[in-house]
Amino acid sequence: MTIRNTVRDHGQRYRPRMACLKKAERMLLEMQDPKTGVRSQPQRLVITTIPHAITGEDIVSWIAETFQIDASEAKNIGTMLVALGYIYPVQDHKRLVIKSDASLYRFQTPYFWPTQQWPVEDTDYAIYLAKRNIRKKGILELHEQEQYNRLHKWMNHKWDFIVMQAKEQYRAAKERKKPDRVVFDCQERAYWVVHRPPPGTVSAMDCGLDRRIDPNAEEPRTPDFYERIMIFTQQSIMRPRVKSSVSIAALVKYCATYNSHDPFLSKCLPSNPWLTDDVTYWNLTKPNVEIPTKMRVERWTFSFGELLSDPRGRDDFRLFLKKEFSGENLAFWEVCEDLKWGTAATMSEKAEQIYKTFLARGAPRWINIDGKTMEITVSGLRHPHRYVLDAAQTHIYMLMKKDSYGRYLKSPVFKDTLKKAIFPEEHKFTDAQLEHNSKNRRPSLSPVVLRQQEQEQRAKMAANAPVDITQLCRFTTPVPHLAVYSGITDPPSANTSPTLPFLTHSPACPSPISVALDSTSASERRVEPSEGGEGNLQAPASVCANVTKSRMPLSLRRLLKRGCSPANMFASLSPKYHSAAGSSSRIQPICPDQAGQAPPRRIGNFFQIKVDIPPECRIYPIESEDEEEENRTAFRGGGVGAKEIICPWESLTSQHEMDQ
Amino acid sequence: MPLVKNKVGDDCTLGKDEALADGEALVESLIKVVACYRHLASCVGGCTDSLQLRDELRQTREKAQKLSVSICQHLTLHLRDKSLPEEQRKEMELLWVAFSSSLELFHVDMCKVFRMSAIFSLDGESKLVQNGFQGGGSEVAARALSLPDLNQAESQVPAAGLEIQEQGIMEQEICRIDRMIEDMEKKVNVLRWMVEPHGPQYPDPVSSPDSASLALLSVDEEQPGNQSPCTRRQVLVLFLLFAVVLLATALSASIVFFS
Repeated sequence: MTIRNTVRDHGQRYRPRMACLKKAERMLLEMQDPKTGVRSQPQRLVITTIPHAITGEDIVSWIAETFQIDASEAKNIGTMLVALGYIYPVQDHKRLVIKSDASLYRFQTPYFWPTQQWPVEDTDYAIYLAKRNIRKKGILELHEQEQYNRLHKWMNHKWDFIVMQAKEQYRAAKERKKPDRVVFDCQERAYWVVHRPPPGTVSAMDCGLDRRIDPNAEEPRTPDFYERIMIFTQQSIMRPRVKSSVSIAALVKYCATYNSHDPFLSKCLPSNPWLTDDVTYWNLTKPNVEIPTKMRVERWTFSFGELLSDPRGRDDFRLFLKKEFSGENLAFWEVCEDLKWGTAATMSEKAEQIYKTFLARGAPRWINIDGKTMEITVSGLRHPHRYVLDAAQTHIYMLMKKDSYGRYLKSPVFKDTLKKAIFPEEHKFTDAQLEHNSKNRRPSLSPVVLRQQEQEQRAKMAANAPVDITQLCRFTTPVPHLAVYSGITDPPSANTSPTLPFLTHSPACPSPISVALDSTSASERRVEPSEGGEGNLQAPASVCANVTKSRMPLSLRRLLKRGCSPANMFASLSPKYHSAAGSSSRIQPICPDQAGQAPPRRIGNFFQIKVDIPPECRIYPIESEDEEEENRTAFRGGGVGAKEIICPWESLTSQHEMDQ
Repeated sequence: MPLVKNKVGDDCTLGKDEALADGEALVESLIKVVACYRHLASCVGGCTDSLQLRDELRQTREKAQKLSVSICQHLTLHLRDKSLPEEQRKEMELLWVAFSSSLELFHVDMCKVFRMSAIFSLDGESKLVQNGFQGGGSEVAARALSLPDLNQAESQVPAAGLEIQEQGIMEQEICRIDRMIEDMEKKVNVLRWMVEPHGPQYPDPVSSPDSASLALLSVDEEQPGNQSPCTRRQVLVLFLLFAVVLLATALSASIVFFS
């Protein structure tokens, strides 16, 4: 019930509840008892005496006795009472602490208590400062002066009122007796020290952001209110439970691990910018700094999530993966994050891009996920939404975590970074230097500028996105401006010799059985029919031969039951196999002429194997004229020189047209 | 205080100027009363809280309410008058802003007094805070009520039972002021950002600065430790001077004596 804003702007302007205030008030009232309360004495001043002064040690001993606690704890509570503004020091009025000696304090009058319901108004502060100026010109301190000027700017329309009110209050005060006037002035001053603290002090009234709802207002008991309570309790019941030993152990482990990294619990090197106003720490821990600090690098070893969430760590990891030729995993993960958190307007384009780059057969940066996941993902991509790539992303994340992360931590890249990491010295500022720092505070770069920089960097990275070497082949024409890895000079043509007619969907390998089992909805096991001229190998040829018959499902199953061996065999033909020796799951020998490009063309049986019609008829893209030619150039030819992957859902409309 | 209803239908500028002057006088007195109310409110809950103080609060509040009602009518009337010349309108708007601000302050103070009197009831059970005040607010109340004589304010000490009644009335009055503020905003649209004040940024320091209380405050501020070396030093210097003077007189006396 204070200043009314008739405009309902749903703004956040209510102070959050501070439960300590009520408790402090009760304690304060206990202290007033003439018999059991704190002993008070009159304060003798030059001209007069003012009653009800209490000494610090009396307060502390009273608290210690009443609550049966030790002296240091009592001192803390006393300091809290002073910091909140219920007791004010008579002498050193700017330092809101309690001193356990004979220094004098006095109780604050209830009008100036920091009760929850009474927000502190700027108008009052302006009046107070004006009053101080009336008493003696130029008595305002620097920060008060600045505040006064600021208020003059913002409350300009009220300024006449403020000046008049200040004068009237001053004159009314003069009516009172002298000691009362002094006491009132002290009280008001103490009130404003608490609520408008000078810069550089810690204020006990810091309570965080304002709330949208008034915490003092009674919530009306509408059906909605009870509905919310019901939903909350239902969710609480459904919450999964963990044994306390397990959860506590997890908490303990977390605390032990992060203890030395927490700026509150341990020193923040070189110095905490919030305390010393020196921004070296922030400069050293910028997201894209060249040389990270040792603490930061140590954090990367805690968990894979930590590594990924730190941009510098991610860069390092990306470098490592580049060397291991599995950069597409991280790129895919990043691009999934981008989809999840990006704007809704660009979502379908992004989804298309992702499919073309990562998921489709023959994609330049094809990722290795199992068949089921691929199936789910691609079918979800028909109607893309934010979380359509979640399954695939999780799979890739776990892959990276279990596999690459361990190797990264042992890799020379990481060791190098660790060696180069710096360990800053702690700053030791004198008081004068601290003041100098606080005067020279400068705001950091505007977030608009930062975002622009980030976007530029991202664009640069996307432009330089490496095409993973293993995916290069004649038919995946690398876009000219894409950077190819230096030092790796294998000509693309080398890859074409082992033209593997076999579908490279060796994600089938991990789960051949499952795929074989549900063959009706099997992912495309389309064996590319007749890469006639390309199939140099007998085995693949035989496979192809098999396939050209219409016994496709059967042959397919047979193929699958053979397990990974065909894939491995084909993989061994890849010149890059040696590097991928240990990780067959990652490197995908690409089959340039994959049947994979054909299935997208079929609508109805998207992932199903056609049994009635020979496959050849179905795999040609609309643009290509050469139906006779085996689908060698089927897809990649695409009418244009560049390889083109058409997303399944796009083909839907075109196929419809074709059919009709 | 005179109501200004007789200025309602007056069209001549003289009348308008008078209306303006009247408005100003009213607003000034409201500001004065609000300032005094604040001073009285600071005593509530303290050791000098008494039935008399509560009564003074009540009287001050009633006066403030009367003033505010009349100002509201006066200003609303004139600001809704379309034929008001521009400078007059500006002045009126200034008054309006001052009026609404003082009303808001008054509202806040009333709420605080209401809550505090609920917590610190004067029935002898609740403890009163020893805040260091010695005197009550009688002089301030006298100033608020514009009474030349203090005794007039003290004449009636109310009965204790009236306290509860007062609480109820208080609640109603707060709601009334609430409504008044809302109505004001609805009826007259004053654009606050267009209002320009006349006065200076800093209020002029009072011609005779209150040196005594200044001295008291500064004495208050000084640490007890700091005092002694200063005074000791002064005493030492005085002593030295005295000793020198004594020596000089002794020397001159001896010269005179011996010569």
